[in-house]
Amino acid sequence: MKRNSVKFFVFAIILIAIIFSILGYRMWNKPHVDIMDTIAIRVDAIDLYKDFVNDSALAKIKFINRILQVAGVVKSVSVNQQHEQVILLETPEPDASVNCTIEGKEINIKPGEAISLKGICIGYIGDEANIGLPGDVFLIRCYHVYRK
Amino acid sequence: MKQKIFFLSLLLTSTFFPNKKLIAQEYFTKNGSISFFSKASLENISADNNQVISLLNTQSGTLRFYLLVNAFHFSKAMMEEHFNSDYMESDKYPSASFKGVIDNIVSIDAGKDATYQVTVTGTLEIHGVSKGVTTAGTVTVKAGIISATSVFKIQLKDYNIKIPSIVVNNIAEEIEVTLNCRYQKRTSN
Repeated sequence: MKRNSVKFFVFAIILIAIIFSILGYRMWNKPHVDIMDTIAIRVDAIDLYKDFVNDSALAKIKFINRILQVAGVVKSVSVNQQHEQVILLETPEPDASVNCTIEGKEINIKPGEAISLKGICIGYIGDEANIGLPGDVFLIRCYHVYRK
Repeated sequence: MKQKIFFLSLLLTSTFFPNKKLIAQEYFTKNGSISFFSKASLENISADNNQVISLLNTQSGTLRFYLLVNAFHFSKAMMEEHFNSDYMESDKYPSASFKGVIDNIVSIDAGKDATYQVTVTGTLEIHGVSKGVTTAGTVTVKAGIISATSVFKIQLKDYNIKIPSIVVNNIAEEIEVTLNCRYQKRTSN
């Protein structure tokens, strides 16, 4: 009887260890959030920029690390050093943009065209940088939204 | 008469556009790249940030970088979460910056293809801690485009970044940082 209890105890410990190992492995390897399958906050590029410029503290609470769907007019299209496409959306300030880095496939779009992009807002680099450049609002891991 | 018009235009230009000459020496990027690599006994970790703002003055040699910490992207979502919440505390210290000067060359001629081996001295601020640093790098001018690259190492303890003992074999104490920026000329203020 006592031997059976020991066996059961050892078995239970091994089982718990296996379960925790599987859970730990799955948690450690969990995928990044699926941008396209996540509900986004919809905002216009000009309004997003104005929100950060006018009340940066509030805009940070509303937008940082959130998935946004930003609609705007393309100012420029380029490729960064990592060969990722970068699309700048127009704002009221000529030298400032909503700066969107595209994840995956390049989007066929030209300056002056309207676009809707979904990505993660990482914030605004403006006055606090004290770098002497008009600030941009940055979005990373962006995807083209074809239907509004 | 022609001389008078010339001097009058010179006077008007210098009165209304006093910083034009300074701006003409400035180059910037808002999508520069900084990545880091941690080599530890249990695993290697790397992350990229391609939203680095940098400003380079080719005449004075001043060089500035500014980035948002939460823009670093990792291969694993969990690594990214731990990096932001446990190690870098990006809610509390959302940015990192460098302000310095190229101290071994007089000026960079953007009109002539060349490669400059440079030494940069300045202040690096990470995790709310500012520290003086000197590092080597390369500035390249090719077809009017200026690029800067550098690889340097930082000690986590220098910036008060604490690694819990349970993951001490997963994260290196010394991190290799790689910088790669391609600049464009600043045309307006």
